Amino acid sequence: MGPTAQRTAWQIQCDVIHALLVREMKTRFGKWKLGYAWVLLEPAMHIMVLATIFSFLGREFYPGIPTVLFMLAGIAPFLFFTHSFSKSLAAVESNRGLFNYRQLRPFDAVVTRVLLEFAIYLFSLVALLGILAWFGIAATFNDFLLLVAVNILYLCFCLGLSLALCVAGAKYPEAAKMGPMIQRPLYFMSGVFFSLEQIPEQYHPYLAWNPLLHVIELTREGLFASYHGMFANLPYLAFSSLAMLGFGLLVYRASWRDLVRSQ
Amino acid sequence: MIELRNLTKSFRTPHGRKVLFKDVNAVFPEGKNIGILGRNGAGKSTLLRIMGGIDYPDYGRVITNERISWPMGLASGFQGSMTGRENAEFICGIHGIWGRDRRKVLDRVQDFAEIGDYFDAPVKTYSSGMRSRLAFGLSISVDFDCYLVDEVMSVGDAHFKHKCEQVIAEKRKTANFIIVAHAMPQLKKNCDVGIYLGPQGLQIFDSVEEAIELYQQGLPKPRAQQQNRAAQALNA
Repeated sequence: MGPTAQRTAWQIQCDVIHALLVREMKTRFGKWKLGYAWVLLEPAMHIMVLATIFSFLGREFYPGIPTVLFMLAGIAPFLFFTHSFSKSLAAVESNRGLFNYRQLRPFDAVVTRVLLEFAIYLFSLVALLGILAWFGIAATFNDFLLLVAVNILYLCFCLGLSLALCVAGAKYPEAAKMGPMIQRPLYFMSGVFFSLEQIPEQYHPYLAWNPLLHVIELTREGLFASYHGMFANLPYLAFSSLAMLGFGLLVYRASWRDLVRSQ
Repeated sequence: MIELRNLTKSFRTPHGRKVLFKDVNAVFPEGKNIGILGRNGAGKSTLLRIMGGIDYPDYGRVITNERISWPMGLASGFQGSMTGRENAEFICGIHGIWGRDRRKVLDRVQDFAEIGDYFDAPVKTYSSGMRSRLAFGLSISVDFDCYLVDEVMSVGDAHFKHKCEQVIAEKRKTANFIIVAHAMPQLKKNCDVGIYLGPQGLQIFDSVEEAIELYQQGLPKPRAQQQNRAAQALNA
């Protein structure tokens, strides 16, 4: 049974990504007890910890939205970002053995990882919203189409970023050390667990450059009818996502052979 | 057909670039088995991998319409926490083999590798012999026009070796081989065209015997060595 003689480039791409997805799922969840439950447990635990701390402080972040929901809508997208960030930095090194198959190149490894993280993010967000709603913690839903648009753009953003990062991670292994240094400030600057409105107004124009902030605020706007993000700007998010995707594709195209080539 | 066009490859070393071969142009017609010879570090495996589209040259291209395999018997793509079957399924997947065909391939692999129930155990629990048997079984169970062989025809015990030789003889009817080896009889038996990678770069010969001759020129004669040793023994 040979490889089907006339596979088109698109078919090969689909076959490779399909096979890689299955493989990633098996290796990621196979080794732990509770396996797939970790998809939900990680964001859930994250939110629990933050929610307990802040409920002790006795604050409500946004009128009309339960604190837990407010944080879930920030943490779930942010976890997708950090996961695709760190996974793509290591994507080339950890898949080196696979590049002996000529149809499998770093692009496939990165795309697969980002797609899987994206699926996990969406699934965990929906499942946790459902579970919370079952316990009676819910807010009025707002705009489904906005959510779809935001998430497609966000996927483009992370894909572009990951492609650029996989090149950076392979060429400069020190880049992996920079990861946490970039992620931590972003965590605070993206309004993950508090509203940036409390920051003095003269800094707002600078904060508004951060696309993640727009993603999180727009996600909240899509989810909760009573939320109005003061930074949220869909055209800006669209522009920065497509620019990032273009940038990532260009960086990858310029240097992908160097990632595989023996030097 | 495999065509090499202006192929140049060099390696970085602390003392500057070391050129393996430069501006190589060649056309290998369909149906030719190619043997690659050379000393250790001459770039044999690199050339094999470049021809197979796995590695890339500094300049130039390899043009081919054949379906070329991964290096035969290669186990580095295995994921230790997955079972042999899951690993085999993955390989089938990236080659576009799904459904009924895949089941056939898996049966063939299990049958050929003779690892029995271990096929459903994680690969990290395998012995090195089982690992290479699984890898070799996979290589021969997926059909290609051209197979890459990088000094691996010697895996496993005598029984398995014999089986491999049989299978390769069978495969030779429908497919070609590009072989890197140090075993001359094996090259003589399996190859039509010889490539010699020497200090002067890359030379291509119409018969593998010529390449072998050139390769062996630099070798000390076994008999002379023996005489030397005998003489030394006498002197002592």
